[in-house]
Amino acid sequence: MTDTATELVSPVSATTGEAVRTPLREFWRRFRRQPVALAALTFVVLLTLLAVLAPWIVPFDPENYFDYDQLNAGPSWSHWLGVDPLGRDIFSRIVMGARISLATGLASVALGGLVGTTLGLLAGYYEGWWDRIVMRICDVLFAFPGILLALGIVAILGGSLFNVVVAVSVFSVPAFARLVRGNTLVLKRMTYVEAVRSIGASDWTILVRHILPGTVSSIVVYFTMRLGTSIITAASLSFLGLGAQPPTPEWGAMLNDARADMVNAPHVALFPSLAIFFTVLAFNLLGDGLRDALDPKIDRK
Amino acid sequence: MKSPLPRGLTIASGLLALVLGTAPALAAKDVVLAIGGQPETLDPYNTNTTLTTAVTKSFYQGLFEFDKDLKVRPVLAESYTVSDDGLVYTFKLREGVKFHDGTDFNAEAVKVSLERVLNPENKLARYNQFNRIDKVEVVSPYVVKITLKDAFGPFINSLAHASAAIISPAALAKYGNKDIAFHPVGTGPFVFEDWKQTDYVKVKKFDGYWKKDFPKVDSITWKPVLENNTRAAMLQTGEADFAFPLPYEQTAALQANDKLDVIIGPSIIERYVSFNTLQKPFDDIRVRQAINYAINKEALAKVAFNGFASPAEGIVPEGVLYAHKMKPWPYDPAKARELLKEAGYPNGFESILWSAYTTTTAQKAIQFLQQQLAQVGIKVQIQALEPGQRTEWVQSWPDPKTAKVRMYYAGWSSSTGEADWALRPLLSTEAWPPKLNNTAYYSNEEVDAYIAKALRSVKDEEKAELYRKAQEQIFKDAPWAPLVTEKNLYATSKRLSGVYVMPDGNIEASEIAVSE
Repeated sequence: MTDTATELVSPVSATTGEAVRTPLREFWRRFRRQPVALAALTFVVLLTLLAVLAPWIVPFDPENYFDYDQLNAGPSWSHWLGVDPLGRDIFSRIVMGARISLATGLASVALGGLVGTTLGLLAGYYEGWWDRIVMRICDVLFAFPGILLALGIVAILGGSLFNVVVAVSVFSVPAFARLVRGNTLVLKRMTYVEAVRSIGASDWTILVRHILPGTVSSIVVYFTMRLGTSIITAASLSFLGLGAQPPTPEWGAMLNDARADMVNAPHVALFPSLAIFFTVLAFNLLGDGLRDALDPKIDRK
Repeated sequence: MKSPLPRGLTIASGLLALVLGTAPALAAKDVVLAIGGQPETLDPYNTNTTLTTAVTKSFYQGLFEFDKDLKVRPVLAESYTVSDDGLVYTFKLREGVKFHDGTDFNAEAVKVSLERVLNPENKLARYNQFNRIDKVEVVSPYVVKITLKDAFGPFINSLAHASAAIISPAALAKYGNKDIAFHPVGTGPFVFEDWKQTDYVKVKKFDGYWKKDFPKVDSITWKPVLENNTRAAMLQTGEADFAFPLPYEQTAALQANDKLDVIIGPSIIERYVSFNTLQKPFDDIRVRQAINYAINKEALAKVAFNGFASPAEGIVPEGVLYAHKMKPWPYDPAKARELLKEAGYPNGFESILWSAYTTTTAQKAIQFLQQQLAQVGIKVQIQALEPGQRTEWVQSWPDPKTAKVRMYYAGWSSSTGEADWALRPLLSTEAWPPKLNNTAYYSNEEVDAYIAKALRSVKDEEKAELYRKAQEQIFKDAPWAPLVTEKNLYATSKRLSGVYVMPDGNIEASEIAVSE
């Protein structure tokens, strides 16, 4: 991680030969060599577009359209992914569901990442009692399996999509805090930080301008990986009936609705599962690709 | 596992044990019946669960019973007479009947069993069913006289209910009021053998059974299987010979299996939504009517019940004595919107809809209702209540004024097969929670009077007339949206016969038989 930091903060040292090798350019050069990560990125971009444009794309109203003559009908030209047990168009619901899943995933990781990073930075930089308190709290949170912690929080707060975001974000906090604290501990002993301090920079400047940028690459990687986990946790909570309430077309809730008809109409359960599966897989692969591209050690081999 | 030889031997001996183990079991005609819930007790007087009494019927019998079509027929009683004022019943008992422990069945046994439930100190759940009895007297060894406090029309029906079992007085003295639940001794075709609460209840053939040539199987295992799909799978693998209830969704798959008989029987289970008539906006009859108009019952039967239900024809379903058939409430969303506008809700309103059950059928039903109500502008939040929540928030809520229940999806079957138990616990003023199940908090003096009068009447025609008036009035007041009457779906293996699901959801298995 030390190397990453040096390189990111002082890119000039890497400038040799033809084009100017900015960090971004360097990153892209390494990233595009990985076809799997590229495919994952493409999928994520497409999914995001789909989610943003969902209201204009869906062929049917995902909540209020129903056709009782086609209950559980399989995929067809008018209903691309078939019809669910309540007569609704599954394709429309999955597309609208992408919006919800991405939004809950993004919001919860952003929230957890923000809180965790702040705590980690402060803990690593100041150490002492503050560090001990923060890290012990993180240990306690780590002791619970993620889904159990989220379940407990939702049970206390009550079931709704907003509470799911809060619950899922809570279990992202300790992971980010620990990650960032570790980096901070290393970075703050670096010579360049000492140099900055010796010319009289405030703690705030040192933290935000000089240490934070050094941890950004690991935060980005972890953020992406965490997105996948968070989406699956949010979907699990909805599957258990604690998250999105019917008729909201959330993927986990759709799976729950499909349970009764899974045997006689497998497509009802299959498509929401595939949606969750591919989305989570894509975020994880993307995270892997980002890590490989951002880790200079790998490049030197 | 070191050399292949011992392993082969192990497998061989395992197989041998398997063959030896199963062969006699097959010859011994054991039958496995899979049911949807665990019996919470084996004391028929201490349960309100229909399925539990289905199990206790294997070893207990009463003076009367319901046959598979809910007609009352005598069992341990041979005949009876009633005094003109409807207060004194005299029963002639069957002679030559023995309990499993060898005790003779006689008038004394009837007296002991009934006096047990009548003693409030015993705290039995069925106390209310019998508390109209004033005294039980032994006239001669095989004649017993029961005197009632007031005339009570459905008295014979309540004696035919599976809970009114006659328990061996010797066993009752030996085990006491509590422990008899673990050591049931009756006159039924099977002797109790073993009970593991979550796993099974095992019973074996009673050799001294009074009905000649019965029972026709050697043993029965009642297996509680909570998961719908597992029960269906057990039938298909041959692990169970009978399963009830079954998921409606799997009917076609089960029917396609040539080893199974799928039976669709009538039921007296009516599904409805009750409105809390004490609360806005449901205190306005136009709102209640509007909701009735807004629900397409035909579609509901199709979506939630896969067609195994029909729109409810009135308040009490056909098959219950004194049920009055009325035309189902028509589906007319335009009319619903108009009524809402008149009532001052042109843009609808928001409310909550709870379901009394968490089954997939109930979940589909409330989602469907949510969908339908949204079409006329009523936005409901739905929640399927767990049994604990249901008891706390609905059934035992102490103060009617603060009750949180608004719209409530539930179902009912009259366990006595008679209109009284289909109306009084659900729609009379005395039945407001926490006492009974009037979740609409409906109160109409006329209806209360009709029900009370019918209860005291012993004349058939008069009763029919009173119950008709009560049902018509209720239908007009619309404290409910009556939805559908469902059908019972169950299946048996082809070798099994003599097991029926009765319209009230109980199971009749006294003539159970298997062919090899």
